[in-house]
Amino acid sequence: MDYIKKELPTKINKIGWILTLAGLLIVIISYLVDVQRTSYNNLIALIFFSGIAIGALILVALEYLAGAVWSTPMRRVSEFLASSLPFMIILAIPLFLNIHNLFQWAQPELVKNDLALQHKSAYLNVPFIAIRFGVIFLIFYSFYVIFVRNSRKQDTTKDQRLTKINLKFSAAFMPLGAILLTLFAIDWMMSLVPHWYSTIFGFYFITSTLLAGLAATTYVAVTLNEKGYLHPSIGEDHYYSYGALLFAMTNFWAYIAFSQFMLIWYANIPEETTWFLLRWTGSWKYLSVGMVLVRFAIPYVGLLSYNSKMNPKNLKRIAIFILFAHLFDTYWLIMPSYSPGIIFSFYEIGFPVLIVGVIILVFYAQAKKYNLVPIGDPKLQRGLDFHL
Amino acid sequence: MENKKIYTVTALFDTPDEITDAAKATAGAGYTKFDINTPYPVHGMEKAMKLKPSYLGYVTLFFGLSGAAFAMLFMSWVSIYNYPLVIGGKPFFSWPAFVPITFEVTVLSAAIGTVGVLIALMFRFPNTAHPLHDTNYMKKVSADKFGLNITSLDPLFDENKIKEFFKGLGGKEIETIYEEDKKAEIKVFDYRFIMTLVLVAIVTAGTTYFVLNKLLYMQPFTWMGEQDKVIAQSESNFYNDGFSMRLPVEGTVARGYLPYEYKGAPDSVIKFISNPLPFTKDIIEKGKMRFDTYCSPCHGYFGQSDSRLHDQFPKPPTLHSDKVRNWPDGNIYNVITNGQNVMPSYEKQISREDRWAIIHYVRVLQRSLNAKDSDIDTSQVKREK
Amino acid sequence: MTTIDFTHEIPVIEGKPAASSIDEMVSAPLNQKPGKVWKILFTITVTMLTVGSVALGLTFYYGIGLWGNNQPVGWGFDIVNFVFWVGIGHAGTLISAILFLLRQKWRTGIARFAEAMTIFAVMCAGLFPAIHTGRAWLDGYLFPYPNANHIWVNFISPLLWDVFAVSTYFTVSLIFWYIGLIPDLATLRDRATTKWKKISYSIFSLGWRHSARHWQHYEKAYVILAGFATPLVLSVHTIVSFDFAVSVIPGWHTTIFPPYFVAGAVFSGFAMVQNVLIFVRQAFKLQHIITLNTLEKMNQVMILTGSIVGYAYATEFFTAWYSGNQFEMFTFINRALGPYAWAYWTMISCNVIFPQLFWFKKIRRSILFMFIIGVFVNVGMWFERFVIIVTSLSRDYLPSSWHMYVPTVYDLAILMMSFGLFFTLTLLFVRTLPVVSIAEVKAHVDGAQPVHKGVH
Repeated sequence: MDYIKKELPTKINKIGWILTLAGLLIVIISYLVDVQRTSYNNLIALIFFSGIAIGALILVALEYLAGAVWSTPMRRVSEFLASSLPFMIILAIPLFLNIHNLFQWAQPELVKNDLALQHKSAYLNVPFIAIRFGVIFLIFYSFYVIFVRNSRKQDTTKDQRLTKINLKFSAAFMPLGAILLTLFAIDWMMSLVPHWYSTIFGFYFITSTLLAGLAATTYVAVTLNEKGYLHPSIGEDHYYSYGALLFAMTNFWAYIAFSQFMLIWYANIPEETTWFLLRWTGSWKYLSVGMVLVRFAIPYVGLLSYNSKMNPKNLKRIAIFILFAHLFDTYWLIMPSYSPGIIFSFYEIGFPVLIVGVIILVFYAQAKKYNLVPIGDPKLQRGLDFHL
Repeated sequence: MENKKIYTVTALFDTPDEITDAAKATAGAGYTKFDINTPYPVHGMEKAMKLKPSYLGYVTLFFGLSGAAFAMLFMSWVSIYNYPLVIGGKPFFSWPAFVPITFEVTVLSAAIGTVGVLIALMFRFPNTAHPLHDTNYMKKVSADKFGLNITSLDPLFDENKIKEFFKGLGGKEIETIYEEDKKAEIKVFDYRFIMTLVLVAIVTAGTTYFVLNKLLYMQPFTWMGEQDKVIAQSESNFYNDGFSMRLPVEGTVARGYLPYEYKGAPDSVIKFISNPLPFTKDIIEKGKMRFDTYCSPCHGYFGQSDSRLHDQFPKPPTLHSDKVRNWPDGNIYNVITNGQNVMPSYEKQISREDRWAIIHYVRVLQRSLNAKDSDIDTSQVKREK
Repeated sequence: MTTIDFTHEIPVIEGKPAASSIDEMVSAPLNQKPGKVWKILFTITVTMLTVGSVALGLTFYYGIGLWGNNQPVGWGFDIVNFVFWVGIGHAGTLISAILFLLRQKWRTGIARFAEAMTIFAVMCAGLFPAIHTGRAWLDGYLFPYPNANHIWVNFISPLLWDVFAVSTYFTVSLIFWYIGLIPDLATLRDRATTKWKKISYSIFSLGWRHSARHWQHYEKAYVILAGFATPLVLSVHTIVSFDFAVSVIPGWHTTIFPPYFVAGAVFSGFAMVQNVLIFVRQAFKLQHIITLNTLEKMNQVMILTGSIVGYAYATEFFTAWYSGNQFEMFTFINRALGPYAWAYWTMISCNVIFPQLFWFKKIRRSILFMFIIGVFVNVGMWFERFVIIVTSLSRDYLPSSWHMYVPTVYDLAILMMSFGLFFTLTLLFVRTLPVVSIAEVKAHVDGAQPVHKGVH
């Protein structure tokens, strides 16, 4: 392994700080002006952000579990993206303070007059959701710590057993992660319309999460490698794999989303259709149609051909677009509960800017401390030699 | 042997590395019409041979899109124009419900199209009469050797030079393969071919006839068609009178045929029955039709008792008299239903609704012959000076 | 226990067999007279097929009143078996298409066999809805063609989607399988010793010449077909799940059905393929091609899909409570504690509990244990469909119309017939066509591909 570490330029750190501070400023102003609207945006931010961080963590676990070698040279990118996981807590604190603004089930006067909400109050209540959030975060974070610590230890010890330990943990992580993400989705998104329920919703969220993590990893890995920060052996074959995965996940997302829509549309049961009807009234209609384009059609066309998955320029463009689509999707899932039509203003900008800034800062700090390539990983050489 | 045309010169290699290098060298030497034969696909061969990338993807795209468009358009055409049916309260163009079939047809069309083009156009298969078949060379590359051959179509073809070239590459078992003397000619008028065609035609037609006209009418295939039930108007052995249909029980009133309830009632009651139908163009036109059919023979087309019966039947009085014009609707209805003087009852001939429609039309006739000045739309009239 | 060396790939084909020895081994069963065991097995399966066919003939003659179906349980064994067999048919395409796209090389040795099983399973599956229509000879009307009655089929009915999905799936699987067979048939053609074999292999190999110019397009076509077969395999069981999920029957109408059915299908399909492969590798001495590692991987796929199924059970149960909808809640409590609780708990233990044993490496690699668990999984997955169909239908909204479902001997005989058909076809297949893909295995033996030079 002939890896020579190349430091990231300090310019990146500067950009990170600028974005973070600017985002923070907008967020604070937003909170001062309109608490309710900002808390909805804060919720979007939480979901959007955890999509990237948890998605990246799932990618790390998936690599161990599937025994994949092609992604090993780029695994650090996923690890660094996942390392901003604790930011979830910071994003969640204002939500807990404002929980009555967000959820109908958190307003006692509404619950009093609603039998269904009383039935659900055993699950949907503030202490329990806080406990669940804590457990979800702690479990994800502990797995992150385990994976990453072993991976870093390997940089010096080159101990193969560490890979095996991570493999075992990732096997435990998968079922646990699926359940936790489902609960997370029910708690923070499905319960916004407390009477509505859909069993596929957990799948929907897991798919979006994975897609977000994958898109972020792809964008960062391709960008860094193009600039020569990773390894010269990483090339088209690796890009193709990322492109193919993005393509597959985009299709899978469309499959899940269509299944949910079609079944509810077809059965036409009033208590279920409300959720889609809400997204079909007023200007939300355009956004719902836009979902088909933004979340499915454009990435699909953009990644369809063999060459488009290999072309780094195209791949970066599509990856960024998919991240945007993830934000778009989250907005579509959450905002109709707040506003009768599409709204867009500085409230909606602050959080995404803040999140991007924080991710850059954390990434830079991590990249400064650790190698950008897992030099001790036994699968690394195979990963570098990878060919289609 | 000398008369035979050379098809190709072949050489065998033992390892994938050797053959890859040989392919590179051959392509590098400027040969274009050469081929490699390997028992399994060797990676990187298309680069070594400098082949153009396969265009099969575009074929798939074409067939896939055609399939998708066809399925979507076809289902929409059927559901919207050709045979619109409301099913489950869904709109005619239920696109979410069309997606599954559209998808399946896309896949089917793309798969069949791709493979069809691949086999028929790209490989030109089936072709079991290729010169390479049944050669020692083919048997070896079919098992474990890697073969290289340069065909005589190549502009640089020279048997001896190529043999030297192959030797230089390390090729073994270098051989020349000749084209077959004569290709099996396809004779359309061969009696065996014609007999086969005739046989196929007879068998196909016979089977089709048997299945459609005999088999499906055998037991048990007709069970649901032929049921043990009495068919209307048919003869019956069960009843003494031999009819399968029965008369209704006495006093049965058919739905919608309640007897006329004002028979013999005083005029004062009749006054209060009003015309239930709206005074619309459709109703009036219907009334006109019925009036012309049932009433006009005696009353005349315009109700002026200009009978068409030429005095074979007593002429009724005109309908434009003040008396009739001032009658309430109920009274006219009563006359149609019960008859008056010589006029018989039309209860059986004209349905209730039609009677009321006729009354509307009679009113129209009456009005038309008794128009007032105020009826004239003055704005439309050109004033005389 | 040996530790795995992560720095090297475990070869999928053990022991570096020479290319000619692969030909020899794979074509051996095609050139020998069938052995005693094969004859006995074949007699058994043909008997099953014949006895079941008699039941089927009686059903045609007297009508489907012979079955246990009643009001309100209009779907009984027929649809249970249909869903079961379609599910079995999912493993083959998953192995040959999805694992191919995921570049899981361990699929090499088992792909051909699994694909063949897919085709046979889909044949068995297609049988059931066809006979469920009552007058199977009129099933031609299921296809939209401009018929004499001037009417079209109902394009928004999920039952029609099934017609399209299953027939497309069958056709594409067949094409996929055949495309894979062509080079092998050519190899067999060149090894053929008798005239008739040579002629038939020549015809079916279409004149394949192993040409690199052909291989290039061939491989592209294989990738494309795999790319299409992947969403297709998802779509088929998804559409089967739509049969239930578009309705408003509690326990049927739930949005998780599509992915849950697909996972369940792969789960049962893998169990069936694993069970049969255990015998095949023993009988044809293919232990180094269908290796223990391969079987272990299959078992791992089974834990994965089994866990997804378990996740779906849990989600359904939780959401039934969460919904606060009394019909939903009743349905699930009725499943677990009602008159069909035995079926429900068979399903839970076979599908969720027993497969957890596969977390242990020793069990994953023990032929005996994996066989037993595979059988359990098949039983469990059959009962899953039984539970979904029968419990929901027998007790829906109106208690006055509740009715229990009891299968009759004809139902059981026809189920047996489908197994007879499946195994008869499998037994015929192993004697007439190469059970592993010769060309693919050759390509995956260590050293079969040129070493990459000067790439770094």
